[in-house]
Amino acid sequence: MRAFEVIHPGIFTTVQDLGRTQYMKYGIPASGAADRFSAQAANWLVGNLPGAALLEITLFRLELLTLNDLVMSVTGANLSPQVNEKPLPMWQSVALREGDRVSFQERKEGLRAYLAIRGGFAGKEFLGSRSVFVRGLMGNAVQRGEILETADPVSQPIPLRRISSEMIPIFSNKNNLRVILGPQDDRFTKKGIETFLSSDFRVSSRSDRMGYRLEGPAIEHRSGADIISEPIARGAIQVPGDGLPIILLWDAQVSGGYTKIANVISADLDRLAQMTPGEGLRFQAVTLESAHQALREEKRRLERVERAIVGIG
Amino acid sequence: MTNMEIWPKIIPSGDSAILVEFENRIDPEVNRSVQSLALTIESEALPGIQEVLPAYRTVMVVYDPLKIAYRPLAEKIKIWVEKAKNIDLPVGRFFGLPTVYGAGHGPDLQRVAAATGLTPEKVVQVFSSTRFRVYFIGFVCGLAYLGGLPEILRVPRLATPRTFVGSGSVGLAGDQANALPADQPSGFNYIGRTFVELYNPHGFPPVPFLSGDEIQFIPVAEGEAVKARGKHAIDFL
Repeated sequence: MRAFEVIHPGIFTTVQDLGRTQYMKYGIPASGAADRFSAQAANWLVGNLPGAALLEITLFRLELLTLNDLVMSVTGANLSPQVNEKPLPMWQSVALREGDRVSFQERKEGLRAYLAIRGGFAGKEFLGSRSVFVRGLMGNAVQRGEILETADPVSQPIPLRRISSEMIPIFSNKNNLRVILGPQDDRFTKKGIETFLSSDFRVSSRSDRMGYRLEGPAIEHRSGADIISEPIARGAIQVPGDGLPIILLWDAQVSGGYTKIANVISADLDRLAQMTPGEGLRFQAVTLESAHQALREEKRRLERVERAIVGIG
Repeated sequence: MTNMEIWPKIIPSGDSAILVEFENRIDPEVNRSVQSLALTIESEALPGIQEVLPAYRTVMVVYDPLKIAYRPLAEKIKIWVEKAKNIDLPVGRFFGLPTVYGAGHGPDLQRVAAATGLTPEKVVQVFSSTRFRVYFIGFVCGLAYLGGLPEILRVPRLATPRTFVGSGSVGLAGDQANALPADQPSGFNYIGRTFVELYNPHGFPPVPFLSGDEIQFIPVAEGEAVKARGKHAIDFL
């Protein structure tokens, strides 16, 4: 079923689901929604499975024309969503009518919004996932005039629902990223590690789904920045010869030959996905145990959200 | 007493991956240990293990910490390291890929010749008679990391990488060689091109090579090379 016509594609809008696993050994990153919490919440709100394909909208200017009656939800960054030029409430499902215009005007908070529709978005599957990975020739960002379709049209109506407000994440002023040092922290001087853990860094405008480049003081190596190429874990912080860190993320190369000083913990990746070029951040070293504890808490938070979805009215 | 390091080392790489490090060099023997361990771990199929990634001298095990904790997994890996010493690796396959060298297809052939003091013909002769070992598959779009480049062909990367190099370009830098599976930026010196398909995002497997395979870039005339367009590497076994 036709869902939307793309009137303006926005800055970078792609179809994403929770990504493809098991293909890193073939040199293919997992991709998938950058802020998985917001993506899964958006899907629950419209009655989808959490891994249904949705739109990941970066910054603003996306404009869609509704081609059929739909149930939609918008979560993640607040990019001032509107329907027919009236503000659209986020973190709840809404009914759209054929002819409605959905637009994202201005960034208020965060970087990436998620737009789910009941039945999920269609989009070509590559290796079991609809996640667009442009560099890997797996689909493209949405284009002007493109028709976006529903994967699995569901005629059965569902009651509209929302997430109770205390469960909605706040993205601002949370720029303290927890990291686990290594695997090559021994390739940096004591001063280098100190610079890394005590300085303010800023997200560069040369950041994308591959990674976040950071600006700030150079981190000092002990003896060069090169290692024999090896696999790269998601959230790894690579420091090449210029001493400026790059956090490697969803669409990053799966292997590389630069020293990695630390790795952002998994529980902080959704938050990182909402950081915007120009924003500042700091790193805090934690133990593996506390990283796993944080991940368990994150999972419980997600489960609470699923349970806390309530009917509207 | 010596201060010889004990390999392999098992260390965390973030909160969801374990890195197993073997001796710190690019070497077929070290890489066979890597391959053996990767195969052993895959065959164990332990719930909670998500990806097993062999590289030159490391194996990365990506795991779900909500399903298996670090310590028990690290202990299991220690046992598997021992077990891996007794397994037989499958014999690598040999691919002979038709390749056109020089002229419009190898923009850096003259530079490599100048840097090595060889004639362009000699560069092609030495390069194309080498059987390269596939150490592992990685980077993006399934790049095969190739080793075995003869000493006399070792030249540095370009000072300024090219922002676009066409898929199938065959090149070298340092002690490595590669054939680009898709269009991408690269700082390697490209001396030829193959038109055989090296990456297929629509099918499985997306990449024809496995670690342990061997590749030779057979020199052919342009017309012959172009005939391979759209053919799979598997047709050149």
